Amino acid sequence: MRFSSFTYLVRQGLHSMRANRLMTFASMGVLTVCMVLIGLAYLLGVNVDAIVEYIGEQNESIVYLEDGLSEEQIADIDAQIRATPGVVSVTYVSPEDVLATYSGMLDEYANMYEAFENDNPFSANYRVVIQDISQLEQISDQLGQIEGVATVSAPLELSHAFTSIQKVVSYGSYGLVAVLAIVSIVVINNTIRITVFARRKEIGIMKLVGATNGFIRFPFFVEGTTSGLISAAIASGIVCGAYYALCQWYAENPSNFSQMFGGQLVPLSSVWYYIVVGFVVLGFVLCGIGTATSIRKHLNV
Amino acid sequence: MIEFEHVTKVYETQNDENVALEDVNLHIDDGEFVFVLGHSGAGKSTFLKLILLEEKCTEGTVIINGQDLTKLKRRKIPYIRRQMGVVFQDFRLIPTMTAYENVAFAMRVTNIPTRQIKKRVPYVLGLVGLGDKMDRLPDELSGGEQQRVALARALAHSPKLIIADEPTGNIDPEMSFEMMELLSAINSVGITVVVVTHEHELVHRFNKRVVTIDHGHIVSDTAHPEVAAAYQAAGGVLPNEFDYAQ
Repeated sequence: MRFSSFTYLVRQGLHSMRANRLMTFASMGVLTVCMVLIGLAYLLGVNVDAIVEYIGEQNESIVYLEDGLSEEQIADIDAQIRATPGVVSVTYVSPEDVLATYSGMLDEYANMYEAFENDNPFSANYRVVIQDISQLEQISDQLGQIEGVATVSAPLELSHAFTSIQKVVSYGSYGLVAVLAIVSIVVINNTIRITVFARRKEIGIMKLVGATNGFIRFPFFVEGTTSGLISAAIASGIVCGAYYALCQWYAENPSNFSQMFGGQLVPLSSVWYYIVVGFVVLGFVLCGIGTATSIRKHLNV
Repeated sequence: MIEFEHVTKVYETQNDENVALEDVNLHIDDGEFVFVLGHSGAGKSTFLKLILLEEKCTEGTVIINGQDLTKLKRRKIPYIRRQMGVVFQDFRLIPTMTAYENVAFAMRVTNIPTRQIKKRVPYVLGLVGLGDKMDRLPDELSGGEQQRVALARALAHSPKLIIADEPTGNIDPEMSFEMMELLSAINSVGITVVVVTHEHELVHRFNKRVVTIDHGHIVSDTAHPEVAAAYQAAGGVLPNEFDYAQ
């Protein structure tokens, strides 16, 4: 295609947007709303992931060892725990360490402490942090199988609760994105269809004087994708702006509730480019599909 | 230039078959001026549609400019259409564009560089005598003038073949005579001209080859008297309102 033809076709597309400005405005409005909702679903998902990860890091599983193990046996168990896939960090706590942590509390019962010093009732244990909280149950079962391990105490209920929230949120987000994507395609399809209908006479003439399908389609693609990109820009602004304000508010108004989940949201600086790039790609692809499906029928002259 | 070999076109509807053309043979040479004459419903429109690649024939072959249209790939169709210019009965101008823009539009959408368009459009509009009315909208032009804009548009690509569909249908008799003069002038520089019409009076005024279509058959061809004889020998009846003596 020649450059002069290219600029001509781009101008045609933009001109048609102006000519149908009401319809263009309506479709961009719907697209923007869809994208904002998709963005919110994404941010919700990101934050739930971050919280679940935070909770996972905060909740250690404790692996209690049987009494009377030899040092060799302990070393063997240590190696086995560390070799378990999914285990991030392992800390050994000897019976003396346990006693030491309680020593401060036992000040008033000095004689009891002395008695314990001679005959330590605590057993050695390991504090194990795992990477993915959804694997907690499976990993603690695995740790329980190791010879010499008495019991494994893991915050299973908490992990169940959070992994199920995580699942609901991510499936919900996927579903929402799919529905909104279809809505966007239908909206763009409809807008372009109206434009095509308004210009069917011109299209007929273009066909008869020997314009190729690509030439006929191009202005409509310009129209569709420009709507998509403008919507993406507006939606990025809205979502990023609103999220930035929310992060500020969240940091300035700490509460017990927020402290429980780490005290901060995922910062905008680490998600904004996903939002912007995602919207631009989404706008481009959805509008491209919407346009392609709406004009195919009219090209069979 | 145009060759029809045993061409049959059948339109199939849900429970009916409509034979528009049946075993049509026709040969039009480069540089010829030919009238295709027939009533409405005789098969003229189908004949046009086959040439313009709006329809494909059911049987036989249609060859234009050495290209077999029946074996043509879909994406090649636009390039064949650029080799011919068509003037429609209803002109098919875009009402929101001036005469100049209407001609330029047809060139734009076929990837012709701007510089060439700027030179060519005033030239072809001058050829059809509208050099001073280039900035008028179609509504501000008479029927005859609109038709000449359509002719200028058809000429813009320097086609080797010009097809006029009922060129006298929408304009007064005097204008239509001028139009035919214009088409003759175009023909005199070597461009093949095919005029499709139902008006035998018009045909009668010009001493050109006349091909008559009736009920989907070519029933007479003044360049080949044997066609009519064969048709009558086979029991066919020539439509009697047409004058075949030439």
